[in-house]
Amino acid sequence: MAYINGIGIISPQNTLPGSDFLEPVVEHTSEFLKSIEPVYKSYIDPMASRRMSRLIKMGISSAKICVQDAGIEMPDAIITGTGLGSVEDTEKILGELSKEEKFLNPTPFIQSTYNTISSQIAINLKCHQYNSTYVHRCFSLESCLIDALLQIEEGTAVNVLAGGIDEMTLNHLSIIRRLGLWKREAIRNLDLWSSKVPGALAGEGAAYFIISEERTDKTYACLAAVETLYKPESTDKTAETVVRFISENGLKPEDVDLVLMGNNGNEEHDRICNDVIEHALPSASHMVYKHLCGEYHTVSGFALYLAANILRKQFIPSSLPCLPKSPGKLQNILIHNHFWNTDHSFILVRR
Amino acid sequence: MDELINKLKKEVITQLNLEDISVDDINPDAPLFGEGLGLDSIDALELIVLLEKNYGIKIEDPKDGKKIFYSIRTMAEYITEHQKKA
Repeated sequence: MAYINGIGIISPQNTLPGSDFLEPVVEHTSEFLKSIEPVYKSYIDPMASRRMSRLIKMGISSAKICVQDAGIEMPDAIITGTGLGSVEDTEKILGELSKEEKFLNPTPFIQSTYNTISSQIAINLKCHQYNSTYVHRCFSLESCLIDALLQIEEGTAVNVLAGGIDEMTLNHLSIIRRLGLWKREAIRNLDLWSSKVPGALAGEGAAYFIISEERTDKTYACLAAVETLYKPESTDKTAETVVRFISENGLKPEDVDLVLMGNNGNEEHDRICNDVIEHALPSASHMVYKHLCGEYHTVSGFALYLAANILRKQFIPSSLPCLPKSPGKLQNILIHNHFWNTDHSFILVRR
Repeated sequence: MDELINKLKKEVITQLNLEDISVDDINPDAPLFGEGLGLDSIDALELIVLLEKNYGIKIEDPKDGKKIFYSIRTMAEYITEHQKKA
């Protein structure tokens, strides 16, 4: 157990410093939900940023926003989760390789490695402490959070900067579309739940958190526990895992006030989300959120941002309608996410 | 020579993504590394690729790099000299 004492998030919604909590909601009519980026010069020296890809600039900026939000000087560890890493740089290097291998530009090659994000954050913050990167598809952020909790529990760190980041490019979108994962045409994000176009709505974003040993006046919420479940045998098995997970954290199913569900607009995928929660937590209020941020490997970061803010503000924005009704109290929130029924994750956030 | 210098300036700005710098901001005789544009070792690698890709010039001896990449003018002189030999 640890406390979320700072948040820095760049997303397709108004989540930059100074904006209200998801107000006004941002509408996109596009093939994927692109992040609203800050003025990078406010966070990164232009001479340094000139060779950084968009993903790295998003990572450094959200990390710096997070550290500023927590009001700490320096984190004791930097941990990043990313499902795909620098897609843009990887595409550049592969494009050059496919043309003529002897003319490889060094910059995209250097930055196409996954751990560039965490290391560039460390260079920018001048942080010489523990630095790690998890690249485990839809478990990337969850693995990062588990590491952060272990660092706190073992006393090796007091404040851990932990976050998840992924970017989407049109090229990557078109390749993955062939597998039938993403929608084949642009839709309005706020129409996601009524859209007849099959597939999920793709998105992207960066979300960093200061995970701390102690509660302070900056605390948003308590990060109680994180668990992952790989390739469950059945929906019943997944539901059993949910009940056991919350029970191990001292809660009964009726104690969970709100579930942030991982629905993404793909019918088959969403049925699994609905069945799991219906079986495990039939009385809990639940909401969907991916019409705001889209689907990506580290999307749980957006959900954790939502849960932490809902608990601190004791308020649910109008863009996130609850079913069957708004919860009477907001003490315990469960985030359930899954990636094509292979990688299920559960994050328990408490007030 | 002036034409080549201007072409090189544009190529360097693009290759190194020098967003806030225009052709007129670059003094052809000013050092590219350290002072002047303040380029670093990764930029040096990018310039080596630029010479090979755009002008077909491969630098055989790395020691020559310091002299060739001193300024835009020394780069232009090296390209001209190399093209005469070819």
